[in-house]
Amino acid sequence: MSSLSSTPLTPDIVSQDGNSMVLSMGPQHPSTHGVLQIMLEIEGESVVKADCEIGYLHTGIEKNMENLFWSHGQTNAERMDYLAPSSNALCYVLGVEKLLGITDRIPERAKHIRVMAAELTRLASHCVWLGTHAIDLGAISVFFYCFDLREHILDLSEATGGARMHPNYLRVGGVNGDLPSGYLESIERLIAKFPARIKDLRGLLQANPIFQDRTIDVGYLSPEEAVQWGVTGPALRGSGVAYDVRKAFPYTGYEQYDFDVPTRTEGDAYARFLVRLDEMEQSMRIIEQALEKLRVPGPYAIDDPKIFPVPKETIALSMEALIHHFKIVSEGFRVPPGDVYQSVEGPRGELGYYLVSNGENRPYRVRTRPPSLYNLQCLKSIAPGNLIADLVVMIGSLDPVFGEVDR
Amino acid sequence: MPSTQTPPIAGTAIDPPGVRPDIDDAAIEVVTPQALHARLEALRGDGYTMLLDLGAVDYLERAPRFEVVYHLLKMPIAAATVAQVGTPARLRVRCGINEGDHLPTVSDLWKAADWAEREVFDLFGIIFDGHPDLRRIQMPHDWEGYPLRKDYPLRGPARERSPRPSFALKSNVQAGTPPTGRTLEALQEQIRTAKEADRPKAEREGFTAGEST
Amino acid sequence: MEIGPGQFLLARLDDVARWAQSSSVWPLTMGLACCAIEMMSVTSAEYDIARLGSEVFRSSPRQADLMIVSGRVAQKMAPVVKRLYDQMADPKWVISMGACASSGGVFDNYAVVQGVDTIIPVDVYVPGCPPTPDGLLYAVNLIQQQIREGGRGGILARA
Repeated sequence: MSSLSSTPLTPDIVSQDGNSMVLSMGPQHPSTHGVLQIMLEIEGESVVKADCEIGYLHTGIEKNMENLFWSHGQTNAERMDYLAPSSNALCYVLGVEKLLGITDRIPERAKHIRVMAAELTRLASHCVWLGTHAIDLGAISVFFYCFDLREHILDLSEATGGARMHPNYLRVGGVNGDLPSGYLESIERLIAKFPARIKDLRGLLQANPIFQDRTIDVGYLSPEEAVQWGVTGPALRGSGVAYDVRKAFPYTGYEQYDFDVPTRTEGDAYARFLVRLDEMEQSMRIIEQALEKLRVPGPYAIDDPKIFPVPKETIALSMEALIHHFKIVSEGFRVPPGDVYQSVEGPRGELGYYLVSNGENRPYRVRTRPPSLYNLQCLKSIAPGNLIADLVVMIGSLDPVFGEVDR
Repeated sequence: MPSTQTPPIAGTAIDPPGVRPDIDDAAIEVVTPQALHARLEALRGDGYTMLLDLGAVDYLERAPRFEVVYHLLKMPIAAATVAQVGTPARLRVRCGINEGDHLPTVSDLWKAADWAEREVFDLFGIIFDGHPDLRRIQMPHDWEGYPLRKDYPLRGPARERSPRPSFALKSNVQAGTPPTGRTLEALQEQIRTAKEADRPKAEREGFTAGEST
Repeated sequence: MEIGPGQFLLARLDDVARWAQSSSVWPLTMGLACCAIEMMSVTSAEYDIARLGSEVFRSSPRQADLMIVSGRVAQKMAPVVKRLYDQMADPKWVISMGACASSGGVFDNYAVVQGVDTIIPVDVYVPGCPPTPDGLLYAVNLIQQQIREGGRGGILARA
């Protein structure tokens, strides 16, 4: 812990009475779900104090985005919460569209494609959550089942955006291109195989006595504590408060969809597990509805050549198209001055972007409201008194992503 | 990708929140640093139970320079269904502060402010009086400078502009010319002649070779 | 040829050792960011790095021989990466996975180390943001090839 580490041992975490020991869990650790360092003060196996040290993945994304065009911002935004990239991209592009004042002009098909992308990315993120949470507890098979389901979703992402993980498919003004042929059939196959898969996952874990022993009554978070700590998402819904941004502040057409918001009142890790599994089923329900809506053809982006690039084929035919394309590529579009807070329901909770524009072609400030940062903070109050093994369960049930926590 | 050396487009606003368009995303309030804690405490008593986010913005050309923005939400604190949660009221509290001044902490009102204020301190240098543990959170503990300030260079003070591969300059100068031959020497020769050919024009227009993106 | 009792098989010790090493390269869990998720995908059933010999990902650097730096290396994390590399026992190899680990990637700014090869020696670079799991599998294949041919980390080569 000497010169090579940058974390000083502050006096208050080094015990004076000789009974406790200070243990640094992380930043390289198989169960911290990323680069998290927890300075644990432990007595035997029980945790007296847990002081999280973050910043090991600080990438300066917010400052980086100040030097990119507005239309390029979602590439960096996707890399914050890297398990659900389209969710970050969606929040960012919705915010920019609000500043531009074009929210009403986004075509219906683009909205439904965005809903589809958001729910698929939520499903993919929950697959990683479940796989890693279970493998931390020793249930290795669940990891393989989850990642197999995730592969189908990544194939869909690759089909639309070109990349498995950071597709850059959602753009300001719509989406990058129409859905490729075969996409809807692939979604049908996903819908067909999902019930069996979720039944497998429930069967492996939900009534498993070892899993129940490890997660029931572990990491109890009361609703008052949760609201004080700013916890949102499945962690808050596992404690009984049914706050879901898709229902409270609907965006991109979610008001047209019929879905429930699963909530539990027990507030422990098992409740959060059940909430997320139910959310996966609800996501599939939304995907089924979106599939029907996407059978209707339509434009996939706003018809405004100053904001969204015209189709490449028209450049050779029309001078205006060429000039518009040139301007967008070389200078980008300018966004009127102002500020906006846009939020979406990410898989971890309320993801928000506070965007400030001063009239330029680049953002002036992009402040992220990272759900994982606020979810992770509550560890300080729920960890003491529990075993180190319980700490692993708690971190898994809170589901932090460090690209988002550290940015 | 825009170069950080290009000048900003004329006609930019100095105080963007003051000229914001009519977007219905939150009610907005502006408070002074002296009235901040009392006002936020009153709001918390009024039902704004959740501090969603606490962030800062550096308006370099404006006075006051920094603005710390608090996003509040009226969330029920007991178990509630979707219907009971409804559409919670949102409030944005802006507090302008000059460089060197301190702000009172709100971590005694909402625990969520703990790390958020540490991050504002780390990246902007704004000090929060009364915070239990105000130290850097994202940057290493011995880092000097406050990275998200507008006068802090993007690449950090220690790093000179990283040398770009010369074919980037080539693409600026002779767009569309395919590389001749496949050898590295041929490509380097083409770049060298392109640079030579463009040097008087670049100097005439005030650019220095090697400094464009 | 019939192999009966009392017969010998002759080979060079070097070859046998390299064959053993290249067939059981155990990576260290050095998952930093998005590339780590693709690294997890490479352990999943679809891509299955275990069939190449990387049966387990060891969490302790003392037990691993390959460090896959997967993700952006922040300034705060750089000393940790260096320390972990130092803690690994020889012979060891390093794959720099992804654009961020190889050169800083899209993040040319104050917070990201512009290439992990500024702090540790790298054997194979994998481009991509993130690279597909196939890319990482190819990188492991290249490492195996380097081991068999006696590259920098070979059993006797120390250059």
